[in-house]
Amino acid sequence: MEDTHVKFLAFDLLSLTPSSSTPNSTAVRRISTATATTVLHLSRAETLGIITSRHHKPDRFLRFTIDDGTGCVPCVLWLNHLTSAYFSRRSPPDLRSIAGSARRFETLVQIGASARVRGKVSFYRGEIQLTVSNVFIERDPNAEILHWLQCVRLARNRYDVVVESDDDDKMLLPVNKKAKKAE
Amino acid sequence: MASSGIPSGALVILQELDSSSIHFKQGASLRVTGKLQEYNVETAIAVIADGGATLLVDTQHLRLNLREGSIYQFIGELSIQPNNEGLLKARVGRNVDGIDLNLYHQSLKLIRQFQSDQISHLEQLK
Repeated sequence: MEDTHVKFLAFDLLSLTPSSSTPNSTAVRRISTATATTVLHLSRAETLGIITSRHHKPDRFLRFTIDDGTGCVPCVLWLNHLTSAYFSRRSPPDLRSIAGSARRFETLVQIGASARVRGKVSFYRGEIQLTVSNVFIERDPNAEILHWLQCVRLARNRYDVVVESDDDDKMLLPVNKKAKKAE
Repeated sequence: MASSGIPSGALVILQELDSSSIHFKQGASLRVTGKLQEYNVETAIAVIADGGATLLVDTQHLRLNLREGSIYQFIGELSIQPNNEGLLKARVGRNVDGIDLNLYHQSLKLIRQFQSDQISHLEQLK
């Protein structure tokens, strides 16, 4: 699940908490019943909604929000791949490719557009955000409805499946395997 | 990158938006959908309709070419007028011609039920 872009409604995404126990995950989602708890570890997520704000720092970053009607997801698209030391370990061809994609996404992000955004779940000053890796503009107005229905179905049938067990770690495995197939 | 603090527009069907609705309050952030019935170029006030209900929308902050008969979706804040009529001050708008409004209405009911269930689960964890 750590490498899958997990589809979430915004209110669900915003309820994630930072993960400290699993090396490859950055966030955790817990759902409890009277007798058991499901725990979902993840690092990437996908959201779809209307872009309602846009804050641009040229050559540094583009910050924007996606409103899907259940909440607003803060997103950050980095634009400094060719200048920041943070990315210096990556190969120049890779960096040029990533920087080129980021420039293209930068022009797509406009207020009022319906956007499907994928990215890494991160936390900044205690608040969740998506560090953007992909932006796709949806032209079909029914795409958002389909996304809602997929999120509900995945949460009910995959993410929240409770497997009774005394061991939290063992309990996770069947749930995550099923969710991976669903993507 | 912390949250911008911009409120989410709650998904509302026009027929639900009467004075008894929990959403019918000053400053409520809403997302509404309807067919453009009238548009006054001088005031930038639009009237959208869905299922016999109508709503006034102030579009002065939008850069949209509005066409009567097309379906639009607006996000903004509700302003209750002295005559108790609602006016949505839109900050975002888009054309959604081709949307399946019946599917949209049905899906809204599902989402609300799902959201209510999930929030109950989260409350149990506290």
